[in-house]
Amino acid sequence: MGFLLVEVAVFSAIATRFATLVNALEVLRISAELGLLALALTPVIVSGGIDLSVGSLMGLSAVVTGMLWRDAGLPIFWSAAAAIAVAGAAGGVNAVLIARLQLSPLIVTLGTYSLFRGLAKGLTAGVETYTHLPDSFLFLGQGYLWGVVPAQLPLIAAAAAGYWLLLHRTTVGRALHAIGFSPEGARYAGIPVARRLALVYVLCSLTSGLAAVLYVARLGQAKADAGTSYELMAIAAVVLGGTSIFGGRGTVHGTVLGVLAIAVLQNGLRLSDLPVELAGILAGVLLVSTLGVRRFLSRRSHP
Amino acid sequence: MRSETRQREVAVATAYGLLLVVLAAAAPGFFAPGNLRDLLLDNAAVLLAAVGMTFVILARQIDISIGSQFAVVAVVAGSLSKTGVPMGLVVPLSLLLGAALGALNGALVVLDLPSIVVTLATMTALREALRWQTQGEDVLGLPDDFQWLGLGQDAGRWVIIGLALAVFLAAWWASGNLGAGRAVYATGSDAAAARLLGVRPKRVVFSVFVLLGMLTALAAVLSAVRFPQVQTNAGLGLELKVIAATVVGGTAVSGGRGSLLGTLLGVGLLGTLGPALTFLKVSAFWEQAFQGAILLGAVALEGLRRGAQPPIVRSRRLRTA
Repeated sequence: MGFLLVEVAVFSAIATRFATLVNALEVLRISAELGLLALALTPVIVSGGIDLSVGSLMGLSAVVTGMLWRDAGLPIFWSAAAAIAVAGAAGGVNAVLIARLQLSPLIVTLGTYSLFRGLAKGLTAGVETYTHLPDSFLFLGQGYLWGVVPAQLPLIAAAAAGYWLLLHRTTVGRALHAIGFSPEGARYAGIPVARRLALVYVLCSLTSGLAAVLYVARLGQAKADAGTSYELMAIAAVVLGGTSIFGGRGTVHGTVLGVLAIAVLQNGLRLSDLPVELAGILAGVLLVSTLGVRRFLSRRSHP
Repeated sequence: MRSETRQREVAVATAYGLLLVVLAAAAPGFFAPGNLRDLLLDNAAVLLAAVGMTFVILARQIDISIGSQFAVVAVVAGSLSKTGVPMGLVVPLSLLLGAALGALNGALVVLDLPSIVVTLATMTALREALRWQTQGEDVLGLPDDFQWLGLGQDAGRWVIIGLALAVFLAAWWASGNLGAGRAVYATGSDAAAARLLGVRPKRVVFSVFVLLGMLTALAAVLSAVRFPQVQTNAGLGLELKVIAATVVGGTAVSGGRGSLLGTLLGVGLLGTLGPALTFLKVSAFWEQAFQGAILLGAVALEGLRRGAQPPIVRSRRLRTA
């Protein structure tokens, strides 16, 4: 949180047009997809797992959307909805392997990371792009409500609220914290661990599909490379926001702050005419130092 | 060696054998000497990095930054050579750089930070820093002694393949016969117990990251000398290939279990897949999907064989107390 304030202060001083409402809303627009992924990953990581396949799933969903719309002739919004459903099914693969067979989430999602991206590339022969999407659809990613508010905002706000409720106000959320802290303990406490885990992974993939739809609407094209490297930034945002990568500890509001921290960083650097690569470097440094500080502080209170 | 490891090695070898049989039947042109030699050449770098990664994963850590390390070392090696530094110096300097990059990861992990986040951070920071420095431009105009280490294509090819195999054999021997090798298994299996045996877990963890860094650097140099320019996006996706090959080969991410022979077989299987698809007239764009499927298949089979018995769940933190 503190870092975010520092960022805002610094960029307000040195960047042109940074401290304006228009820019603030633009930041929210651009961080829409990253934000959705980070929100979806939060319960996954809190439960002690991880999902590296969210970015690749975006690519697959984007391609499916394009294919259904252009080649199968489905109306665009139905194509998008179907693509999200396909994403959910794909998440089912993760869910079965992780929740049922109890395999390492890191390795399973590493495999699906390759599988989903590979399917997307294979289906499009690596080159196919779906463009000239209808304006009604593009409004979702490029339009403004009442002329000012980016169209994605209500969607993201709803998603954030939903995830917050899930993780912090429902028994399912409590169960996830428990599972992340100690899966065996959770099992002995009567929590249906496999079912809860399956839920978060499928939910995660559905959200990933939604992120893909927004991505396609924003860029105006559906390609197999959609969402490349998004999973890493999303994980960074979640960890920055205070969620422990080992599970058992984490908040949705923390994730939101983490996403904003990264988005503001990228936006501010761009407006300050500083090299964009600095964003990646600073993000890395920030990640390590934040973790280091937290570890140091917790050592002091838990000797 | 535990029998599970043996079982996995046999399974991968069988799968590999099947692939080769299919190729022999449907596309015997695959086995032309030139093609096989190129196959070995292409996978030499992956093998080197995979050897290093095996030790890291055995120690219950992970390193997803090797792709970026690879790119940095390749570009630095090329740039050094361009400014007139002889290859005899460029190679050891590159190894030193690799060791330093590995040491950075190792030091942060030993400070009790989770390796996946640490290497995520270094991966991003290194890749971006490199891009900033090169502005996306490849390194061109390399001197003659850079290409093939100045040995010419024929000799150079075999030197690369030979080096990779030599390193593998040394590592394989060390993992089973040197105290240091066994210490890695011990640390990954149970760091606290290892400490009681006299192993220094922190030292072991730090060392495996440094080793991986050096091997990645060697892989980078041996790859770079094959081409007339060094590309700034070198090594993209390397960490995935390497981790997948290691895991398919039987090394478990929970640490303490696995073998270098398995890694060799994993590298072979996944490395042959791409060219095999081409020879079997399957579009190369499906390669990544196949790689993912194989990885999933391998771990799923193991999961099914293990039955409903849940794995021992342990924290990934380096607990030494």
